[in-house]
Amino acid sequence: MNQPSGSREQLLARAFVSLADTLVDDYDVIELLTRLVDYSVGLLAADAGGIMLADPHGLLQVVATSNENARLIELMQLQNDQGPCLDCFHGGAPVNVADLVEAADQWPRFVAAAMHRPVFRAVHALPLRLRGQAIGALNLWHHQPNSMPAQDLAIGQALADVATIAIMQERAIRRGEVLNEQLQAALTSRVIIEQAKGLLAQHARLSMDQAFESMRRYARSHNQRLADVARGLTERALHPDAIVTP
Amino acid sequence: MAERGAATRALLAIARDVTDDHELARLICRAFVDGLGVDGAALSLLTASVARHTLHATDATAQVLEELQFTLNEGACIEAATTGIPVFAADLGHGGEAARWPVFAAAVLEQTDVRAVFALPLQWGSTNLGVLDLYRRVPVGLGDEQRRDALAAADTAALMMLTLRTDPDTLITPAVRDGRHGSWLEPVVASRAEVHQATGMVMAQLELDAADALARIRAHAFANQRLLIEVARDVVARNLDFTDQDDVADETM
Repeated sequence: MNQPSGSREQLLARAFVSLADTLVDDYDVIELLTRLVDYSVGLLAADAGGIMLADPHGLLQVVATSNENARLIELMQLQNDQGPCLDCFHGGAPVNVADLVEAADQWPRFVAAAMHRPVFRAVHALPLRLRGQAIGALNLWHHQPNSMPAQDLAIGQALADVATIAIMQERAIRRGEVLNEQLQAALTSRVIIEQAKGLLAQHARLSMDQAFESMRRYARSHNQRLADVARGLTERALHPDAIVTP
Repeated sequence: MAERGAATRALLAIARDVTDDHELARLICRAFVDGLGVDGAALSLLTASVARHTLHATDATAQVLEELQFTLNEGACIEAATTGIPVFAADLGHGGEAARWPVFAAAVLEQTDVRAVFALPLQWGSTNLGVLDLYRRVPVGLGDEQRRDALAAADTAALMMLTLRTDPDTLITPAVRDGRHGSWLEPVVASRAEVHQATGMVMAQLELDAADALARIRAHAFANQRLLIEVARDVVARNLDFTDQDDVADETM
């Protein structure tokens, strides 16, 4: 995302207005979470970010990332079944790692995998919480060792809370239920979006990132939900040429 | 992993030697009835393009519920199938969820002693593998834990239906029954982004729908004794292209 100009307060206000604006009746939760990751990265001067959500089996799934590197490092934690973002989710509390190299004792398999081809050195993981229950995590990655100031962490947590609200929907929260159904719908959207990315990447010889960006652009310019565009592609109602031809 | 609920555990106990979708539907319905303490269940195929078809109903009442929805073209199951979101209607006699399908609710109350219905879509992305309807004769909903169990179990059941649908015919062999290939598609593998991305790529390579594309990838993995995730990664890395794989593709048809 391009960093808009203005003071951070202005940027923050703009981010919340834009996110609130997206929270209309028929919003697309994956698009909203992707936007939220982009804002978090921009506002908190991180290099990349991602959101993981727990499926009904209690397994974490990567649902939105700012780029492919962020997706890969989140997957590394899932594959090794350990890492700061998993601890953040299981503990329901932030986990801050100023330098991954020094955290090898804590998560030996994950750190070894991450340092095999080092891209990120620091991570701040913030829980997505609803009434004491963690449903996922917002993770912010830095290329260099980094310790985020408390003020930034507070902003990050506010953004994580917006993500929770986006997923759970105000209606569900008012009814006082943690609606796993909403999570389920987000996870189903994600499957369709990944399939559509592959279809588009193959058809137009794009990288997965480029395929995703083309779908987002198309969804925005045609005022459609990202999940609907992806579904259109996988169900052949929408030709991939329509997405990649400007 | 969160602790597994009774319905999910009952599903996981289903042996891999089932090769018939009616039989699998019967076992799935049984697992939900036992695991969630509901009175009956039915599993129907219900998509826009395919004729509606009930694979299994545990009793006459469950069968009536399916027929009513198909006839009236409304109800919990139809809603779950079209929105992809589960429906939990704890009391058909008192508005709430049921207010969305007044004709269906009235017909159920008049023709059966059913008071609560729950409908779970069985899906993998946009691939609709069926809808599971559960009912209770008392107006009592599912608790939080049961709901979570129901969703995890629906996901597990969907992967079982998907496994059966994407099994290459030639591979239903004694080796499968002996358990050497003997597992259902598991959430931990089937939910990997690479599997979905590879599925999308093979959809474009061979002009297939998602389930058929997954079938080709699975067939290749079986034929080459490799893991599904490894084959998926090769496809995503563009080291494996199914347009060059006529030999393997033919085996799966």
